[in-house]
Parts: sequence; C-alpha cells; structure tokens
Amino acid sequence: MKYFFVLLILNSSFLIFNLNQANAVPMDSSRFKIESANVSVTGGNKSSDSYKLSDTVGQLAAGQFLSNGYVVKAGFQYLYSIIPFRFSISNTNINFGALAPNSPSTDTTNLTVHFGDVGNYQVTAIENGPLKTQSGNVISDTACNGGGYTCNESIAKVWTSTTSYGFGYNITGDDIPNDFIDTTYFRPFPDLTTGELPITIMTNNNVRKNRRSTLTFKTNVSSVQPAGSYQTIISFVATPSY
Amino acid sequence: MTNKQIGFKFFFLFLYLFIFLFFYSGNVRAQQVSLSISPPLLELFIKPGKSIMVAYNLKNYGDPIFLNLKILPFEAKDELGNIRIKQEFEGPVRFDLDNSDLKLDQPFFLKTNDTQQILLRIRIPENITDGDFYYSLLAETIPPTASEGIGSARTKATIGSNILITISNSGDVEIKPKIALFSIQGGLPLNKEVKIFDSSDKIPIILTVANKGKNMIRPEGQINLKGNFGETAKYDIISKNILAGSERLMEATPSAQIDYDNKNTLVLSGFFIGKYNLSAQITFGENSPTIFGSTIIFYAFPFKIAGGILLALITVIFIIKKKKG
Repeated sequence: MKYFFVLLILNSSFLIFNLNQANAVPMDSSRFKIESANVSVTGGNKSSDSYKLSDTVGQLAAGQFLSNGYVVKAGFQYLYSIIPFRFSISNTNINFGALAPNSPSTDTTNLTVHFGDVGNYQVTAIENGPLKTQSGNVISDTACNGGGYTCNESIAKVWTSTTSYGFGYNITGDDIPNDFIDTTYFRPFPDLTTGELPITIMTNNNVRKNRRSTLTFKTNVSSVQPAGSYQTIISFVATPSY
Repeated sequence: MTNKQIGFKFFFLFLYLFIFLFFYSGNVRAQQVSLSISPPLLELFIKPGKSIMVAYNLKNYGDPIFLNLKILPFEAKDELGNIRIKQEFEGPVRFDLDNSDLKLDQPFFLKTNDTQQILLRIRIPENITDGDFYYSLLAETIPPTASEGIGSARTKATIGSNILITISNSGDVEIKPKIALFSIQGGLPLNKEVKIFDSSDKIPIILTVANKGKNMIRPEGQINLKGNFGETAKYDIISKNILAGSERLMEATPSAQIDYDNKNTLVLSGFFIGKYNLSAQITFGENSPTIFGSTIIFYAFPFKIAGGILLALITVIFIIKKKKG
C-alpha cells in the first residue's frame, strides 16, 4: 500500500513538472478585398507575324483614386485571401566542431517555407566571406573533387574526396536546384565580399503547406591548415513573389 | 526495517527515476528561427505628394530573437516571378515607421509567439515623374554569437514582403504588353510553325508576356485549343503581375504548374488525333484591348500504336512463314 502511495506521488509530480507546453494554432484569416479595375482605352493595336501588340493608357479604380489620392491592395488577387508568408531555419548555429585534417566535418539545418496552398516564393543564400579566423586564415570555398568534378556557385558536383579541401553545401528536399542529384553533390556559397550575387536554393510556383529542404554544410581541411576558430555568416533571404 | 528492505527501496526508487529520466526528459533543440509576415504583397497606386500608412504583422514562431527592419528596392530576376533585391536603397519613395518604439535599421527584440505590428509610412514626394517603384520590406535576424575554438557557420534569416508602387499624377497607367513567346515545346517540327506529336504525348506550351510599359500590368485570358473534329478546350490564364520592363511566364489552368527547369505554361495531356490549333487571348482589365498570340498548329498521330501493330504483324507473318517453311 505504501509503495503504491509513493508511486502515486512520484507519478503526479512527474506529470505536473514534465507536461509539455500546449500551443494554440491561430485559425484566423483576413479576407481579401478585390478592387474592380476600370481601364479606359486610348491606345491602339500593332501586329507582327508572331504577336499583336496593344498599348493603352488606362485608369485603375478611378473614383477611389481621385477621392483619396491612392488605392491599396494587399495580398495576391488570385489567392482571394491574405496568407502570411512564413520562413523557418531549424538550426542557426552550424557547428563543425574541432576540424581534423582530411576528415570532413558536416552539420545540417532545415529550411521550411509555408505559404498556404499557392504562391511563388524563393529562398536565396550567400556567405559573408569564406570561413575565416580573426587572424585572417581562410578555408577557401570548395571546388568539389576538381577536374571533371569541379563545382561552382551555380553547378553542383561530386565532393567525396578527402583530399579535396574547402567549404560548401549540399541541399536535399523540396523545390531545390536539380543539379543536387544526391547527397554527394556540393556547391560553394556565393561570396558577398567578392561582389557575387545571392543564389536561389529553393523556389516553387505552387507552394503546398510546408516546403522543406535540408542543407548540409561541409568543410574539409588539409594538414597544413593553420589552427583557429574559423567562422562565417550565411544569409538566407525568403521572399514571396509579386 | 532490515538493510535488505532499505536497499530494495533505494533500488526501486533509482530504477523508477532512471526510467522516467529517459521517458520525460525534454528534447534538446538547436536555436531556431521561424518568422511570418503578413501581408506578403502590397500594391499601391498613389499620387505624388500623398502618404499612407500600412500595417504589417510580424510573428515570431521560433526562439526569442533580435530583428532588424529595412527596406530595399528589387527588380525582376527572371520570367518565373523571382526577384533580385538590390544592396542599396534607391528611388524617390520615402519609408518610415509610425511605431513609437521601432525604427528602420534599428534592432528590436521579439519573444517567442509574439507578434509585432509594423506601421509602415510610405511618402511620395511632390513633383515625381510617373512610374513604378518596387521595394521589399525585410525583417532580418541578428546572427547568434560565434562559438570560440570550433569551426562554425552562423545563419542569418531574412523574410520579406514585396511592395509594388505605381506613382501617377493623373491616375493614368501605361498598358503596353507584348506576347514575347507563344510556342509548343518538343515534338517533331514540320516547319517553323507546325509540329508533329504522337497521340499519347504530353504537349507542353509556353506563353511569355512582356511588359514594355512603365507600369506593371496583370494579364487575364485564355489559351484555346481547337481540334479538327470540332472539339475545343479553354485554359484560363492565372492573373499575375508583370513588372514594368520585364517578362513573365504565364500559368494556365488546369495544369498551372510551372516546372522550374522545363518552364511550361500548360501541359496538354490526353489522346490527340489529327490537326489542332492553339491560340492565346489576353486582356488587361475591363475595356482594355485584347492581344492575341498567333495560332500555332500541331498534328498528332498514333505512331506508337501503329508501330506496335506493324511490329506484331511482321512477327506473326514471320512466324507463320517459318512454320510453313
């Protein structure tokens, strides 16, 4: 009987102290207001063998524009609702641990985009310089295995050799570039400090509930790489379309 | 109570706590970022000298975080609706925040599950030439602090919402579209405008509209398919903005799935036989002129079925002849 009493107390305390937080899910939505367009024609048609071209000068929602001096529309007209655009990164601190020569280090993060059922989006990535120590030692961006397997910012190639050094990434999952054939394919990030432009790593015209990709960061150093804390910042920018 | 009984009790208690340590211990999580912004797109048609205030909601679903708000201009990157954000601010439009406790380019803290309302003031100076200006409202996270003694890459997450501004003194906009490309992909070209397919082939169609004007346009319309036996089908074009001086690949229902690599507007599937005409008809709102894509023609014949039957016939004849021989 005593054991049961002790057990009951222990169970109750564990239940109280270990209950997970209950999260409410917001279920509200704002309806989209469609403004009717009024386009008055003052232009004409032009044509060629392959197309016809028309130009015109029109007015959009003329009454409202004249009275207020502006017309505002929010959201995508073809969606008929204002759907929030959501972007998540599961791990913001990519940890390679203590780097060992000829022994690649990797870490992963998940990128998730939520944009209702429809809507074009893009996620771009760029590095704020290569992996670098405060004293200026650098781990260069990867060229993958080299030779016929030389990758660059826009073409992924196989990087499996332990004697090929550098820093790069692989991506798997939804809406990714199709040159990432499998998990052995890598690219270097574009470098902001050399004036390179961000590269699109996820994009889709028709978004489902959650579009998710897994980004694997990899670095491999040679035995002559100076010791130190190598750091960089990778910027991910998620934007909806227009 | 004997020593044996006490020992048994301790053992029982230890076992119980050990089991519950595994079953009830919380998950160890890396720091995560999860942000949402609404509305994702704002279209503003405004006179010079006017100013408006727009309310945005920025919600933090992830860990508590410092955020920075900024506005940068963007341009169309490709015909798929992707954008290229410029590094520096430019243009005549002025942006401020009406929030008393927030400023652009100054970090603020947002707790988990908190929503920050952003009151964005958009001012158009007087004497501005009519035209379009495109910007993104960006909320960027401040990266975590670096870990010493290890190699690490810290990530910075930025979420954006696009703002399309048309400035017009009179309320007039310039609608100057052009069908840049209307064609069928694949198939066997008979000549420049006619292609041949197998009856069971999928037929991908591309329709790209260019905006040659100084204001954004939004096309509406259909792609029409007409067969030689009188059968017809209409595919509605999904109305999406085309920025000034850019092109956009249209999408049409029911397929309406742009393949990022193959870049199709519409993929026709079914069993086709004979001659088919495809035409596109696009308008830009009520009373606007209609533009037409030139008619493209394709023929479809059951080559694969005919080939299969022929092969079967040859095989049968061969077998019969061999048996007779």
